[in-house]
Amino acid sequence: MATTETKDLSEHQRLQLQFQLFQESLPKVNDVVYRMLLKEMLPLAIAVDKSLSDDEKEDENDKTEQEHRAAEEKLANLSIGYKGTPSHVLIKEYADSDEERRLRIRTKMMKMGYQIGNQVSELLIFSNNPNLNFRDMDLLSVMKFICRDVWKQLFGKQIDNLKTNHRGTFYLFDYDLKLLEGMALNEDALEKELSVLEPYLDIPCGILQGVLASLGYENNVSCQATFVDVPESKAGGFRSFPKGVSFNVLVNVNPTAGGEKTVDAGAKGAGAQSFPV
Amino acid sequence: MSAGSANAAASSVNVSSSTKSLRVFGDEIWKNKTAKINAELFTLTYGSIVSQLSTDFQRNFTKVNEKLFAMGYNIGTRLIEDFLARTALPRCENMVKTSEVISKCAFKIFLNITPQVTNWANNKEAFSLLLDENPLSDFVELPMDAVKELWYSNILCGVLKGALEMVQLDCDVFFVNDVLRGDQSTEIRIKLNRVLKDEIPAGED
Amino acid sequence: MAIQTILVINKSGGLVYKKEFLNGGHRLTSNEYLVLAGTLQGVIAIAGQLTPKALQITKNSGIKDVTDQETLVAYAGPLGILESQDMGSFMLPDYFTESFKSWNTSGLKHITTDQLSLFVFQSLTGVKLVAISTQNSISNVAVSIAENLLRKVYCLYADYVMKNPFHEAEMPIKCTLFDKKVAEMVSRL
Repeated sequence: MATTETKDLSEHQRLQLQFQLFQESLPKVNDVVYRMLLKEMLPLAIAVDKSLSDDEKEDENDKTEQEHRAAEEKLANLSIGYKGTPSHVLIKEYADSDEERRLRIRTKMMKMGYQIGNQVSELLIFSNNPNLNFRDMDLLSVMKFICRDVWKQLFGKQIDNLKTNHRGTFYLFDYDLKLLEGMALNEDALEKELSVLEPYLDIPCGILQGVLASLGYENNVSCQATFVDVPESKAGGFRSFPKGVSFNVLVNVNPTAGGEKTVDAGAKGAGAQSFPV
Repeated sequence: MSAGSANAAASSVNVSSSTKSLRVFGDEIWKNKTAKINAELFTLTYGSIVSQLSTDFQRNFTKVNEKLFAMGYNIGTRLIEDFLARTALPRCENMVKTSEVISKCAFKIFLNITPQVTNWANNKEAFSLLLDENPLSDFVELPMDAVKELWYSNILCGVLKGALEMVQLDCDVFFVNDVLRGDQSTEIRIKLNRVLKDEIPAGED
Repeated sequence: MAIQTILVINKSGGLVYKKEFLNGGHRLTSNEYLVLAGTLQGVIAIAGQLTPKALQITKNSGIKDVTDQETLVAYAGPLGILESQDMGSFMLPDYFTESFKSWNTSGLKHITTDQLSLFVFQSLTGVKLVAISTQNSISNVAVSIAENLLRKVYCLYADYVMKNPFHEAEMPIKCTLFDKKVAEMVSRL
């Protein structure tokens, strides 16, 4: 028995090593450009919303072939004096927007995140990670997979703390969300500023839902993120943003429709329980 | 082969006490001094952006192209400082040099590719970059309605435009071909309009 | 070398960041700092024009070797940057270990009085970083330490100012992380 165990272990280690080498051999790009891309998603979403509402104001006539060509040419000749709207101006527009517009923009962020999440789980599933077994994965294991592997892949670190009541409510705490690195401006203007940063949290919210959807939890899932204070035990060391983030995920697992997914819950009682991630 | 690549072989830059080729210089930064992420993650992130844009604009791809360009421009005007801080390369005295820095350093350091510089205009002020690989569009297939109109990686043009403008080079940057559209190659054209002489900081000669 | 002040001046000569490190002594008012920034901008420009014509012509004709040696800044060690988080995306061990070429070749680079020295670092995009130290250092070593330090500040600027989508180009820098990083770096010198 003991011998097979050690053999298993070394087999596991071998797979682990193989996996690591495989990961390292994959094509790479600079982390800097990836982060820039994520950060520019908000200005983009605002710009899109702006130009869509501008379009509505104009008369709605279908673009003729000619107009297309003219626009195409214009693009090719984006020459002397091209002036786009700088990111900070767009973000300022968001700050001055009413609730309705904010919601439209946040929905776009959420949708982009959703698509990322949907595909990133595929990326991870097909990565032959020996630590992952997607068969018989219950909801809790799925959440652990998100906290550990998905977060690591996307933000270079794991979720700091996972809490659940075993009835489909989860709290994921990240006390140093890399997405927000360097975005803090004035400490005294924090409240107002945090509201402007909210749409950035919609990316990971969307990602969470996207991953869950790709693993079978498509309906009755909601996710909300809020800024939280960093607990003292975690406050030491360097952090890239003064606030932590709590993601509250609700998965309604009542077997009403279909109900092929069952969760190994309930038995442990209703008290929230923490998991080391 | 074109004059560009002939020149490339011969050129070198004095970045330190020892004379190194730009290629070696770029490779070294990529290899030893760059935090890297999985290219596929980058591809799918960009993919989700383009796909959301296409939905938002109800598949009006001209608009999508425009927005991708604008997004790139905003990145380029900022990313240039990162590039300069990382490389400390001296100002390029002509477009031939500029083309090499873009291909062997900028593309190498940020995307780990080295596009071919080719198709020089006679006046040596316009050239093309041929992207044999493109981490933005790996494994991407365009839907039928997008094939004729969408420049999927148009963000690159915006980035180049923005970055070049910050070092006082007013250029047109646009796609002329893309394998995603069924073309033989993926080609970005860069054409210098003028050097913004008034904006070159005093203190350089 | 005790750094008294770090300034960032935008490409049109406007002061966008100032940080004082030493307590006590006479301080400039905000207004005086603005004047200083504008004046430096002007002097940098004029210094370029003072460059002897002969030298300008040799440079333009491509005979560069004459001045190349002079504009090369020697590497001056890690300058206290040791921990992995210190330099943002500029990976450690020390991102730079080689000498580099200064972009500021004909403009003003330093001023020395009996009590202090002022150093200027200028990027291709026109942003200028200024360090004022309380020593009258004219040695080459001091100059290259200052330029290395300012190059590092420039890296922090590229990371924490330029990558912040909230930052407005050419306008005062209000990025807390940049502020913090610069302070840490100077305190470790």
